[in-house]
Amino acid sequence: MTQDFDVMPGNKAVAHGVRLARVEVVPVFPITPQTTIIEYISDFVANGELDAEYVHTEGEHSCMAVTLGASMAGARTFTATCSQGLAYMHEVVAQATNYRAPIVMAIANRTLGWYWSLGPDYSDIMPEMNLGWLVGFVESNQECLDQILMNYKIAEDYRVLLPTMMSLDGFYLSYSQERVYLPEQEAVDEWLPPYKAPYPVDPTESKAWPSASLPSQLHTTYRRLHEEVMEDAKKVIAEVDRSYMENFGRSYGGMVERYRCDDADSLMVTMGSMTTAARRAVDKLRGQGEKIGLLKLRFMRPFPNEEIIDVAEQVDSIGVVDRVVCHGTGGGMAFMDVKSALYNTDVRVPVKNYVTGLGGEDIPIDDLYMMGKKIIDNKGKKLTKEVEFVEHPLPSGAQPVDIQSEHCVHPGSDGCAGCGASIIIRTLLDTLGPNTIVVDPPNCSGVNYAGVVKVPWVLANFASAPAYETGIYRALRKKGKADKVYVTSYSGDGGTVDIGLQSLSGAAERGESIIWLCYDNEAYMNTGIQRSGSTPLFAATSSTPVGSVWKGKPQRRKNMLMIMAAHRIPYIATASLAYIPDLKRKIKKAAEVTRNGEGLAYLHVHQPCPTGWYFDPAKTVEVGRLAVQTGAFPLVEVDHGEFKISVKPKELKPVKEYLEPQRRFRHITEEQLEILQTYTNGDWEALLKMEKEGRLPWY
Amino acid sequence: MISEFDKSKIKGLILNDIARKGGKYVANWRVYKPVIDHEKCVACGLCISYCPEQAIEPGDDGKPVIDYRFCKGCGVCANECPQKAIEMVKEETQ
Repeated sequence: MTQDFDVMPGNKAVAHGVRLARVEVVPVFPITPQTTIIEYISDFVANGELDAEYVHTEGEHSCMAVTLGASMAGARTFTATCSQGLAYMHEVVAQATNYRAPIVMAIANRTLGWYWSLGPDYSDIMPEMNLGWLVGFVESNQECLDQILMNYKIAEDYRVLLPTMMSLDGFYLSYSQERVYLPEQEAVDEWLPPYKAPYPVDPTESKAWPSASLPSQLHTTYRRLHEEVMEDAKKVIAEVDRSYMENFGRSYGGMVERYRCDDADSLMVTMGSMTTAARRAVDKLRGQGEKIGLLKLRFMRPFPNEEIIDVAEQVDSIGVVDRVVCHGTGGGMAFMDVKSALYNTDVRVPVKNYVTGLGGEDIPIDDLYMMGKKIIDNKGKKLTKEVEFVEHPLPSGAQPVDIQSEHCVHPGSDGCAGCGASIIIRTLLDTLGPNTIVVDPPNCSGVNYAGVVKVPWVLANFASAPAYETGIYRALRKKGKADKVYVTSYSGDGGTVDIGLQSLSGAAERGESIIWLCYDNEAYMNTGIQRSGSTPLFAATSSTPVGSVWKGKPQRRKNMLMIMAAHRIPYIATASLAYIPDLKRKIKKAAEVTRNGEGLAYLHVHQPCPTGWYFDPAKTVEVGRLAVQTGAFPLVEVDHGEFKISVKPKELKPVKEYLEPQRRFRHITEEQLEILQTYTNGDWEALLKMEKEGRLPWY
Repeated sequence: MISEFDKSKIKGLILNDIARKGGKYVANWRVYKPVIDHEKCVACGLCISYCPEQAIEPGDDGKPVIDYRFCKGCGVCANECPQKAIEMVKEETQ
């Protein structure tokens, strides 16, 4: 049973679990701090270490739907997300339950906006808690790997056959390095045989498949049956934990883990990574002679009622530490569940709630020690106040630099050195002027420039920025100000061509007089350079890595110009940061069109990204210029249906000159280069032909 | 009725405020520092429009002046200068 170990972050431990489980279909969409899970898995697939269908979806809603479809068709599936992504999946998450799909999903916890934060609290997983999934929380990186394997064993057990969610705290586990022992592949294969769906959606195997609908008279019955399955799952969870111990030498206690509870007269209840600090706090109190114990909730759904009652019977005080608040109830999630587990019993013990660590704030040992002391103090007392928020003041930081300038953007941003997006945002805002509202689906510019622009900058949700813009525009129009204030997006390519496309299409078709500016850096740069629908053919990204099997992105990019032209909107243009006068002229044109209320103006601006494309930051503009001069990114416009090429080099340079400075193309072969050159030539000829014809025939 | 619109009654609201926005000093990001040779410079303004950080503004004579407090040392200005009037000089280590 000796196992190799390696030092790795929690996200990599999850990926190893997925690899060892020989998962067959992995749909993905990036979101911090989950993204590296899917990146590690893409490395495994790219290098032939995992033979799986890897699906780069265009948003989390689709991501969960692909996962569900694959699971229904009988494949072992995995996906991962968190926060806004999990919320966006919500509808499909609910659907997975009655399709009885044993999906295993990892949630690298992160706060759900409002009050955005990248750090973890359980506000993201809380709304998913009661949808019929098994929901568990892990404490260490080793537990990440082990629980992924155990979750497949639990979920695929026909007594359960339900999807499972495993929550690992973002940053504290997802990115922190710990020693992790790796089980042997042969041992895992023997313990976890391939998934066999009882009723796959596959007419060659089964004539029946799980139904999504049911007469209303039977809903109550089937919901009750689901609760019975949840109860049965508790047994399966305990069984699997024991069996994992026998086969791999590690056990976590099943539903809960008891720590120094045997003679305890007071109890702290925790979950997730905070438990490690809580153990040290309990040790310290124990060292002072206090008989305090610790109960780690490993599963929240099903909820370990029996285990709670069992420990509660022996103690005189309980304190529940919650990393979330259920607004309107006054306290946290685990608190409510612990309290209600005890209500109809003979146990009468004060249950106090400590809400702490929200937004990802650290929960230090000292805080937990103070909570522990209070829990001990509460022994046998009647509580006057049930809930305490453990709060800390903000440490004083650097104040913004006060500088006078006419520009609409302050210097001194957090953007990367050589960032092209900052050149575009400055050109945009200086051209449109101060009466502009920027709507920003999450992207790197939102992170780096929202704090330095002198106009309103509204953070939208990823899939719906065009609808935010629509709402703002319609309100202004109702108030008679539509021609006085510009409403523009500052969206990346992911927010435009992938997850935002449906909303953009709606706004374009309705004729909303708003500007949509896409700064296209050809990947999801904010989450760390994953491929998008706008990533060019053969480019290496962190989700299309180059390995023995994969050779960069295998698909060509979307032709957004034609997608927008199909909407017959009044103005469409591509532009580049290397051609500022052309970019300014196009922004002015977009302003004119929207000011006149003619409809949506679409600007697609090429933005070389030194960080994501791996070139010298000094070459940002040079690379942009080469993209235009080689025909890799032609500058064109469609003005009320009239098609024109804005910058027409006499002769295109070889596309090789554009690719050469960029390390994302370092791997390409002569053959791949030839394919790229052929496509570039073909696209250019098509544009010349369209210009000759002048007007697009469908306008 | 006026009291209904008393903003001080709003609890727990966080505001974005344009007046409170601004950049920070980023000079310590730099490894190389751009130095302009004003003899060679013809005041074409390309470095001003291409500077990602907007750290370059025209001086009294129209020729560019770098505000080193905000220069990250990316080198775009030197790379784009058609006169080759900007040199990237390694920063002294402190």
